[in-house]
Amino acid sequence: MKRYRAKDNKHRGGSNRKPFILLTLCSILYALSVLFSAEAKVYIDISSPAFKRLPIAIPEFYGPSGKEISDIIRDDLEFTGLFLNIDRAAYIETSSQPFNPKNWSPIGVEAVVKGSVKEERELIVLVSLYDVFEGKEILKKEYKAGRDLIRPLSHTIANDIYSTLTGEKGMFRSRIAFVGEEAGKKDIYLMDWDGKRVSKMGLIKDIIVAPRWSRDGTKLVYSAERNRQWAIYLLDFVNTREKKVFSSTGTNIVGDFMPDGDYFIFSSSKDRTFDLYMMSLKSQNTIKLTSSQSIEVSPTVSPDGNYIAFVSDRGGSPQIYVMKREGTDTRRITFEGSYNTSPSWSPKGDKIVFSGRRGTNQIFIVNPDSTGLTQLTTQGNNEDPSFSSDGRYITFSSDRDGVKGVYIMRANGESQKRVTLKNIKAFGPRWSPN
Amino acid sequence: MKKVFVLVLICLLGVVFFGCAPKKIVQPQQPAVTPQEPRERAMEVEPERKTSEEKITEQQLAKIETKEVETPKYIEEKIVFEDIYFDFDKYDIRPDGKPALHSLADWLLKNTSGRLVVEGHCDERGTNEYNIALGDRRAKATRDYLVALGVASGRVEMMSYGEEKPQCTAQTEECWQKNRRAHFVILKEKGK
Repeated sequence: MKRYRAKDNKHRGGSNRKPFILLTLCSILYALSVLFSAEAKVYIDISSPAFKRLPIAIPEFYGPSGKEISDIIRDDLEFTGLFLNIDRAAYIETSSQPFNPKNWSPIGVEAVVKGSVKEERELIVLVSLYDVFEGKEILKKEYKAGRDLIRPLSHTIANDIYSTLTGEKGMFRSRIAFVGEEAGKKDIYLMDWDGKRVSKMGLIKDIIVAPRWSRDGTKLVYSAERNRQWAIYLLDFVNTREKKVFSSTGTNIVGDFMPDGDYFIFSSSKDRTFDLYMMSLKSQNTIKLTSSQSIEVSPTVSPDGNYIAFVSDRGGSPQIYVMKREGTDTRRITFEGSYNTSPSWSPKGDKIVFSGRRGTNQIFIVNPDSTGLTQLTTQGNNEDPSFSSDGRYITFSSDRDGVKGVYIMRANGESQKRVTLKNIKAFGPRWSPN
Repeated sequence: MKKVFVLVLICLLGVVFFGCAPKKIVQPQQPAVTPQEPRERAMEVEPERKTSEEKITEQQLAKIETKEVETPKYIEEKIVFEDIYFDFDKYDIRPDGKPALHSLADWLLKNTSGRLVVEGHCDERGTNEYNIALGDRRAKATRDYLVALGVASGRVEMMSYGEEKPQCTAQTEECWQKNRRAHFVILKEKGK
């Protein structure tokens, strides 16, 4: 003991600073720990391949339109495949009764969503989310909306429940743009991702090709033919305006937006054969990205804006290629099948979804390095796939039920379902970025 | 020295107490029977939670004004030429199409007033966008052939309709073949 002390004394000069350093270290650690504990508990680790579906109960909300709102929330959460919806017939506690975990754990429920609705000048919905295991409320929030916005209102609630339980942003308020045809007339349509609230733009065109969103979701760029001319048009939802942004002799087809929302890329045969171009909406400057005698079409920009995937028949059949945005370092990424078209990037940039012909057209995903080819559909002809903003879902068009319609599915191919009605022939769907 | 230890201890305790919630917890399996007695929640005294509020709004999309006032400058002549046909996913001129192109070229060389539009069409089996490109190539291949036969290149326009204007809608090879075609239209300026 004495010896140690002596040693200590000997080094006292040098260790004078130690408490200070320790204190600093500790405060940093402490601050970090507070930070981490403030971060919400995650109930479903959706990034883990072995996640367990979370058993959830959503009793009918109390009050006017309570059933409609709670049904929309239930359907939203159910489509994700992350929740196990426990049937309402098994509940012994209603939305208006106080929460008691003992009413829920015997039927295996781990989370309960309750709500009450008041209808005054607008709908006022008070929602609570409970953790049955801990026996406590983990979300309480009041929502207000006009009666006409009951669906966006319900989707907003579903988004909050989703993000509270998964730690990720929900996509339940996203929309899908598509080309629809009724009585021989084509138009661009917008609908909620679940196929509800369908509206058309009222455009006067003969042929319309798949619209593409700007990254902020305020613009659509699309190509259309009218009076024997193919032109590229911009729909601006902020200024509610349509504008022709490019036309020439030959065929002009978009394309995709660059992340900045100013430049967009498109394919044009203005110089006799199809090549890829980039154009600025502000300056109208056009840059040619490829020069070849083959077809170059359907360019799609990677999320970081650095790469472009596109279709080319330079190897004798239409295949998907990836190049740098400047048009260099081109490499082919599809090698199976003799007809692979309509590529679209996942929002993380780790996958490309496309339509490949194997007797019929089917949806496939592949990694940008050409590995990991996976077929997602088998029925009918399936075309024009694109990802939802969170990368968890894919929309596409299919003729499997006779009339071409817009379908959605999980990104692993599960839960494929039609979301457009059969009175509209629908194709070219694109999921909105927000 | 003791002070240092105490400090470290306090810090460690702090970390244990406040930092023990890991970033992600997957819920443990729920016990099958009724839950245990309410847990001790001495440490979980939560402050009165303030209910957050959100007003849901949506950007109302006004009807978009379509400004498409251009009217066609040309009208179609009522002359019918024979279509020529293509193989699936191909745009080279087949031998069986050449006689039709020769007689069309002859007509164009004799009748120098109208302009020719070569329309490229595809069957429905390909994907929409690629078919528009393919139709464009069929029109171009046809145009190049006519120009090689002496037709002035400035008189021949190209137009692709992809799979948008089928002749025939049955899902048979016979029908698909009818749709994989180049179609010819003579245009005359309006009022002439």
